[in-house]
Amino acid sequence: MARNRISSDEFTRPIRRILIGILVVFLLVIFLIWRIDSPRVERFRTALIDRVVPSMDWAMAPVTHASDMAQGFQSYQSLYQQNRELREELKQMRGWKEAALRLEQQNAKLLDLNQVRLDPKLTHITGVVLADSGSPFRQSVLLNVGARDGIRDGWAAVDGIGLVGRISGVGKRTARVILLTDSNSRVPVVVQPSGQKALLSGDNTAAPPLEFLEKPDLVRPGDKVVTSGDGSVLPAGLLVGEVMQMPDRRLRVMLAADYEGLEFLRVLRSHELEVISDPGGLVGPPVERMMGPQPAPEAEGADNG
Amino acid sequence: MDDPLRRDVLVHRGIYLLVVLVLLFLRLLPLGDGAARLPGPDLVLCLTLAWLLRRPDYLPALLIAAVVFLEDLLLMRPPGLWTAVVLLGTEVLRSRIALTRELSFLLEWLFIGMLMMGMFLAYRLVHVVTLMPQPGFGYAMVQVLASILVYPAVVWISFITLGVHKPGMGEIDKMGRRL
Repeated sequence: MARNRISSDEFTRPIRRILIGILVVFLLVIFLIWRIDSPRVERFRTALIDRVVPSMDWAMAPVTHASDMAQGFQSYQSLYQQNRELREELKQMRGWKEAALRLEQQNAKLLDLNQVRLDPKLTHITGVVLADSGSPFRQSVLLNVGARDGIRDGWAAVDGIGLVGRISGVGKRTARVILLTDSNSRVPVVVQPSGQKALLSGDNTAAPPLEFLEKPDLVRPGDKVVTSGDGSVLPAGLLVGEVMQMPDRRLRVMLAADYEGLEFLRVLRSHELEVISDPGGLVGPPVERMMGPQPAPEAEGADNG
Repeated sequence: MDDPLRRDVLVHRGIYLLVVLVLLFLRLLPLGDGAARLPGPDLVLCLTLAWLLRRPDYLPALLIAAVVFLEDLLLMRPPGLWTAVVLLGTEVLRSRIALTRELSFLLEWLFIGMLMMGMFLAYRLVHVVTLMPQPGFGYAMVQVLASILVYPAVVWISFITLGVHKPGMGEIDKMGRRL
């Protein structure tokens, strides 16, 4: 038979087997450590990705662009058809534009009447998508902004239109965005006209299902879905998408964000909400404060002016 | 270290590393292939098994472990688990090299298919034991099937481009040693 090994191999084989065993045990220990204390190992992973992926950027950019160009070329074939459709849509949009302008004027007037100030703290940082998750079972992207730009875990990432996901894992130069379609993503949402609260739980498909709806009868296909802000992780009122009903009568959400072409993402700076912890003191005039002069109202007036 | 035989092995190890890095790079490209798309084959696994079966001296266990562990870390998989599974799988294959040398390609393919399936089941079993969430069985199975289907192509391409083949009976290298 094929016993044509070199004889020295016969001697090293048992030792080799032991060494392989040690290596396997070592790997399994790493896995168990990760399973028990995942944040520490994840931090190491984030640091590694932080080191590796941005250095591949110079090569990634041209390849990505080339593939985009190829896709663009393919779309030339359907150009005529598209053109006609676009004209059709443009006609409809003109009507909408008029309506929007009117509403905008009205809104401005009402805001002015109410003296509403939009929250100046709600600013954003824009990042470029560096890399995909690379695995078909995980839906996440890597942004080129990280801890040095002030990114923190849990902040919302949106594209121009709707919510894309939230930050989970921040390196020094990169941050990972878990997409809404990832099977680990759970986002509390509210379905707009009926005000029904639900949980949008990703399941690795393009349209994640709505779960824990109290009265599904009140929800119609086409309803708007926005974040509810429950759990105080994501800010409330970010557009997520539109309800649609599957043939099996399950309600899913067609995401508003363009997941096919994620290129730039805005990370919304959200500040920690103030938590009301004590029931509040007695309501009455503070004794010490009444004695001294009170410059506060004047200073406030000067500030406003 | 000017031994030409040694150099050939080292060159092939370098090529393996390079190919794996390129595959990894291609998978990380942000091309927007989002959810609900069928998972493609695990080319790194195909390449590793195909090469190992032909020339086990090209792929030492440490190199395989290092490569797969890097892949684990970059692709957000539980670190170490898939590496351990692949290492065990490749060792099973390595210890049966003498046997597989005489198999026809069809039988080899069957053997590799069974090995991949076994590795996949072991991986999932550990997921179940450690109570980790995992993608649906059928969905994940598509990847294994795709890997098995692609395996002959990987074998063929690595033979055409790099000449990685099973040493024939009594084949000797340039130094006159038996392979």
